[in-house]
Amino acid sequence: MTKRTRAGALAGLLLFLSIAHADAHPHVWVTFHSEVIYSAEGAMTGVHHAWTFDDMFSTYALQGISHAKKGQYTREELASLAKVNVTSLKEYDYFTYARVDGKKLKFSDATDYWLEYKNAALTLHFILPLKAPATAKAIQIEIYDPTIFVDFEFAKDKPAQLSGAPAQCLLTVDLPHQPTPVEQLRLSQLDSAPLDASSTYGETFANKILVKCP
Amino acid sequence: MNTLRGAVLTLVAAILVVTVINPVWAQGISFGAPHHASGIVPQSSLMAWIFAKQAAFYRSLSGFIRASKDDGAATWSLFGISFLYGVFHAVGPGHGKAVISSYLVANEETWRRGVVLSFASAAIQSVVAIVVVAIAAVLLGATAKAIGLTVHVVETVSYVLVILIGLRLLFVKGRSFLIASRELTSLQTPAKATGSLPGVSKSFHRHDYGSNATAFHCERCHDDGRAHHVHGPHCHGHDGHEHHASAWGHAHGLEPAELAGAGGWRRGLSAVVAVGLRPCSGAIIVLIFALAQDLFWTGVGATLIMGLGTAITVAAIATVAVSARNVAKRIATARSGLGMLLMRAIEVGAAGLIVAFGGLLLAGYVASEQLWMFAG
Repeated sequence: MTKRTRAGALAGLLLFLSIAHADAHPHVWVTFHSEVIYSAEGAMTGVHHAWTFDDMFSTYALQGISHAKKGQYTREELASLAKVNVTSLKEYDYFTYARVDGKKLKFSDATDYWLEYKNAALTLHFILPLKAPATAKAIQIEIYDPTIFVDFEFAKDKPAQLSGAPAQCLLTVDLPHQPTPVEQLRLSQLDSAPLDASSTYGETFANKILVKCP
Repeated sequence: MNTLRGAVLTLVAAILVVTVINPVWAQGISFGAPHHASGIVPQSSLMAWIFAKQAAFYRSLSGFIRASKDDGAATWSLFGISFLYGVFHAVGPGHGKAVISSYLVANEETWRRGVVLSFASAAIQSVVAIVVVAIAAVLLGATAKAIGLTVHVVETVSYVLVILIGLRLLFVKGRSFLIASRELTSLQTPAKATGSLPGVSKSFHRHDYGSNATAFHCERCHDDGRAHHVHGPHCHGHDGHEHHASAWGHAHGLEPAELAGAGGWRRGLSAVVAVGLRPCSGAIIVLIFALAQDLFWTGVGATLIMGLGTAITVAAIATVAVSARNVAKRIATARSGLGMLLMRAIEVGAAGLIVAFGGLLLAGYVASEQLWMFAG
């Protein structure tokens, strides 16, 4: 193999790897509501999530779960499934990414988890405690699945709220959106002017919660 | 003239590569934004549209399944949507088309066999989903977790098989490539010819088993034609025969000549099984949802129709890959020596892609449809 062909082969492999690091498409739709929890001292301690799954996935998840009444599931009957859910979610960092000044905050394992079944849909409730309480002027929490297997969408009526936060704190929600033509253009130029290594497009269009405490 | 041919050849090779990897490329779309926008096609908006459509079709399935409980017309709408979902779904992610296309390119398959193999793999995929749900959910009452794990095991077997098929092809095609490159060298430097020829015959004898011997024979035949710029009648007759042989045709008589080049129905079948083994998450979810509505058979119908839609898209992609390869071959034949070497190189590259796809999928590098995400 000449040097040139070897370089070509390497370039080809790199191209392939970059392309192959690809994503699935959604098979699970989650409508979620999140509460950012604060301690009495005014530090953010965690996030309380309530995720409602789409009816098809809810039915799929309920397959084989024994229940006394047809079409009804009690919190106790769903306890084992809730445990399975949060245990699997751990591998995916609970799809929740918090940042302060560009630095990632770490979460501990989920607590207080339970499932409820209402209107043919499952809702998973859980608390995601921060490893160390955070005090900062601006905290950003993103909820997204980088592999796009799960499609996250803020609940329309109550997307997110603060719980026990100091009075001056303000929460805003940044919805993901279809890229505008300008953004499309910018995105198409990313090959020549790439983002930094930690960025992904999934993140660009993530559901963002911003908490500002001036 | 030679530079022009070279340029065309390079372009065709590029199209070939794009065709084969495009399905994987397409997976990079998130929320309508392309991960790796290609400068060749305005993929971004088209792909975004396809993904949006696909998601819309999928999400409407549950409504149609519910409605079909007491409305016969809704069943037909359900089948129609299932078909469209299958067509659109296959444009998106999935290693199936990528592996099949690479396999066809590496194995000098005809488009006819490409279409047959595409349909067969889609059919197997649907049937596997139906069988998994029928046994696990209907008969055993298994949980989603158990089904997810089953799918995971089946998936892993599928990926390992893909790797094995790729490695086998890589071995066979790598050998052809080495032979072609040695012969080219021997042609260009006659002094070395005597030194290189025994090496060729040695490697021929060492691996002289079954159909590979005939495959070698055919290649040698091509090589002869190339060297003298004359195609022997045997070569053409042989070629033509093999190109009209279908996957089914091979099942009747196993003449060694029929197994040459086209890979033999057995190997074609192994590729189809390897790819088709992995059931589609969407199909499994739809089947379980239908089962929960006491409409299992409606779900089975929807799954099979979904498979039909998928097959059409995969067959189309496979046809493009095979055509690109044929164009490259036509140019390569006219361009003696180097051209043939490039053909062998394309085949080796395609075989390598199969191994790479299998390896990446096995390693979980390519995000597959993880059903066990919430339930395992």
